[in-house]
Amino acid sequence: MEFDKNSLLKLGKLSKIKIDDDKLSSLSKDLGSILNFIDRLQSLDTEEVDPTSNSLDQPLVMRDDIAIDKNSANEILENAPEKELDFFSVPKVIE
Amino acid sequence: MIDGWELVVGIEIHAQVKSNSKLFSSSSTNFGSGPNSQVSLVDAAMPGMLPVINKFCVEQAVRSGIGLNAKINKKSIFDRKNYFYQDLPQGYQISQFKDPIVGSGFIEISSNGQSKKIGIERLHLEQDAGKSLHDQDPNYTFVDLNRSGIALMEIVSKPDISSADEAVEYVKKVRSILRYLDTCDGNMEQGSLRADVNVSVNKPGDSFGTRCEIKNLNSFKFIHSAIIYEAKRQIRLIESGESIHQETRLYNIDSGETRSMRSKEDAHDYRYFPDPDLLPLIIEDTWIENIKKTIPELPDQKKDRLVKEYNLSDYDAGVIVSDRAISDYYEEVVKERNPKLVTTWVTSELFSVLNKKNLSISETPVSAGQLGELIDNIESGKISNRLAKDIFEEMCETGKSAGEIISVKGLSQISDQGELEKLVDEVLSANPDNVEKYKNGKDKLFGFFVGEAMKLSKGKANPKLLNEFLKEKLKI
Repeated sequence: MEFDKNSLLKLGKLSKIKIDDDKLSSLSKDLGSILNFIDRLQSLDTEEVDPTSNSLDQPLVMRDDIAIDKNSANEILENAPEKELDFFSVPKVIE
Repeated sequence: MIDGWELVVGIEIHAQVKSNSKLFSSSSTNFGSGPNSQVSLVDAAMPGMLPVINKFCVEQAVRSGIGLNAKINKKSIFDRKNYFYQDLPQGYQISQFKDPIVGSGFIEISSNGQSKKIGIERLHLEQDAGKSLHDQDPNYTFVDLNRSGIALMEIVSKPDISSADEAVEYVKKVRSILRYLDTCDGNMEQGSLRADVNVSVNKPGDSFGTRCEIKNLNSFKFIHSAIIYEAKRQIRLIESGESIHQETRLYNIDSGETRSMRSKEDAHDYRYFPDPDLLPLIIEDTWIENIKKTIPELPDQKKDRLVKEYNLSDYDAGVIVSDRAISDYYEEVVKERNPKLVTTWVTSELFSVLNKKNLSISETPVSAGQLGELIDNIESGKISNRLAKDIFEEMCETGKSAGEIISVKGLSQISDQGELEKLVDEVLSANPDNVEKYKNGKDKLFGFFVGEAMKLSKGKANPKLLNEFLKEKLKI
């Protein structure tokens, strides 16, 4: 089974990944085989099994509400391709 | 109901948790700091950074859930909500999708004199995004990540709301409950509490129409007018034979209109999945029990108590409990004083000064103790209610106490028999013509004498005693 090419293009768009035309077929095939495998898993009866959201059997570690105040602007903007007045500066986004 | 159409509204409230640090990082949540000054490597989504949950934020979500009469889920899961946007460096928002921390509940609202139960669908914890500034440069959008990662409680109502008025009452009530609980500061101007409204219209008896969501409304006025505008827009479309597309719309605060939000057109497929960086959140019964012990008296209970204890009208009690700080102030003043007098002074005199000066109750120029002292002077007959209003005005301007103003200005009411008699004599001997006319039957002149005596005493004469003396002296 091949993964539907339109769905693949939509998935690419949602993930901001450009998919070249000559890669469409092979990617569809690859994703199709993954989905086939998932289909096989889905044939298992899991009626009595709670959904697993994480495979670790541990409690969630929590921290206390203590703020560590430091002026982070320089460090955070260090890797920004463009910055302006301590802001990240990105090509205009139109709402 | 608008012209034979029914309105159905559901509301999502985003309430910022009043915490010192963010939901999954230790950065400060202070409002108004320099851009990108409160951003940790977690908030900026640097590779390899892992989220660690803030226990206090979990507690505030549970507290809020209890305040909304809702079920607390002992196991909840954090999911990734995937979308691309320049103010979301992770490429996903950590939220809760299938298993939220709080399940269904309800609140009571009263709108146009009728009380109504509005269902709560759920409350979940999620991260806020950063802030984009589109108007600073013609070619660039500026991004500030200070807000990125701050804890939000998203409170989703059931579609039980059927008018713009009810929608406003609903948001007011939720805000009031959160402020009583102190889980959110409710500051709508700063965006700590904002609402997305889902609006649809249908003919009575038909099923729900297609809904549109209007995002990010941060005042009661905007919520009200956005709903009215949107309902009318949908009715107009349907009546002209067109259909409604489910979409996200933006409200323009200048024109009062809503318009389609292009950037969200493709964004409805969020591909949620459990965040592998976070384990399930388990809340033990003992923890919930301990949190329950910290729940204060909430607005509805307080309202019932005020009505019973002080014999307040439903309306007055509603006004007083709408804000926890106001009710605290009121209760401090009313202690062992006449509730009716105190209610009038708080809800009309004090409120009008606060409105005029655009102050909140916490910024009041007259403290509860000071207002109490002023009211004591009225109750003891030392000053008249009329004079008290002038004194109150001066208290507001100068911050002085009532006692100080009364003694410095010699304002205390004249109740002394001798002084009043002197006053009356002076007025009568200065107006012999009018005295004559009065004695010949022109009763209406009585008011004139009272006025003259009051003027002469600079408003200080005890009105009741003055009346008695005048009557006595004018007897034929």
